[in-house]
Amino acid sequence: MENRDVLKNELEKIPWFQALKPEHLEKMTDMAHLRRVKAGELLFREGDREDFVYIVLKGRIALDIFIPHRGKVRIYTVEPLDVFGWSSVTPVSHQRTAGASAVVDSLIIGIDSEKLRDECEKDHDFGYVVMLRLLKIVSSRLLVSRLQLLDMFESPEA
Amino acid sequence: MTTTATPIQNDISNPGILLRPKWAEVTEITPEADGIATYWLRFINSSDQQEFHFNPGQFNMLYLPGFGEAAISISSDPQDHEKLGHTIRFVGNVTRAVSRLKVGDVVGLRGPFGSCWPMSELEGKDVFIACGGIGLPPLRPAIYKIMRNREKYGKVTLLYGARTSSDLMFPREYEVWRKAQIDVEVTVDRGDANWSGRVGVVPMWFYHFRIDPRKTAVLTCGPEIMIRFVIFEAMARRVPVESIYVSLERNMKCGQGSCGHCQMGPYFICREGPVFRFDELQSFFNVEEF
Repeated sequence: MENRDVLKNELEKIPWFQALKPEHLEKMTDMAHLRRVKAGELLFREGDREDFVYIVLKGRIALDIFIPHRGKVRIYTVEPLDVFGWSSVTPVSHQRTAGASAVVDSLIIGIDSEKLRDECEKDHDFGYVVMLRLLKIVSSRLLVSRLQLLDMFESPEA
Repeated sequence: MTTTATPIQNDISNPGILLRPKWAEVTEITPEADGIATYWLRFINSSDQQEFHFNPGQFNMLYLPGFGEAAISISSDPQDHEKLGHTIRFVGNVTRAVSRLKVGDVVGLRGPFGSCWPMSELEGKDVFIACGGIGLPPLRPAIYKIMRNREKYGKVTLLYGARTSSDLMFPREYEVWRKAQIDVEVTVDRGDANWSGRVGVVPMWFYHFRIDPRKTAVLTCGPEIMIRFVIFEAMARRVPVESIYVSLERNMKCGQGSCGHCQMGPYFICREGPVFRFDELQSFFNVEEF
């Protein structure tokens, strides 16, 4: 019970959840858990089955993609209050599209993606808030990917 | 036509003076990143050295006989009259020739030209500097100016991004800047296993900072696409357009608004710029064919 209170307290601090009604926050608490990860610890590998969406509370998480003949390329780092593993809520490939590991000791919240999806389906008010938040994240990541793809620091005559 | 935030009036009544280079010797070369180095210069004529003053954000035309001229931002401390630094990326005909210079070689200099960062107007405000790649060198003199007068400025943040960790400019100085109460935050577009810092583009990290739009001025320089999104993020946080300053790069040839190569809308970047207050550019910035 004490752990649940700590978890709920952490969830309440996240701007993501401030638009949720109290009963929705209770639902979210039921499907979430706190997790501490040590620097260097692997959270999931590219290709793993998707099961949780995560929110960083403290620390820094790196997302990497393995490129044959180049090795792992770090494509993004996730900082406090940012979300990763979000594609598990709207699965396309049902596999992780990037690996995740902690850069420094970190504290994260994991939310069961399948339960979250089911709850969004059952309660559309709840689903709207969650999907709106996810859409903002996807939109922001799309912009980041676009700018990375443009390689804006490339020398103009290179 | 509105005026730039801090115009510098060069004496164009006698253009011959502005067109005549003064000679300077390369005293030191500091490699900064792949294809980028800082050239430290000293005027051959000691009176030229004493008379030369510049403001943060201004540039010089650097001349190599047989190759031509290139506009290069001054990247050194404006209060240090012993050394004049130019951080140069070797991309064009002139700058590739510069890359072959050695200590003791001589180059021609004209300048300083252009407008500058509005350092006096920034006093009493928080300063948020968002820059990328080779956009940091034109802002380094402003950082030095802030450090020398730290009590005159509020919270100062430098958000700097580069392609990879090996492309970061002046990494040895970050700790010095941090000791001067400048919050230095660095990000790279692509990381590797040895990089424990941030990965992601400059504009996306705005969410990480608490910016008080009523008292924050944003200074930005770097690739124009990055500037566009930095402005977007600043405006999304309700920073007024009058508090956003940008430094632009164009094909500058004469340095005094005579040739028209660097025209952007109603402005010649070399004369009214390179530093603009954003409200001066807003109507045609990011408009196709401008």
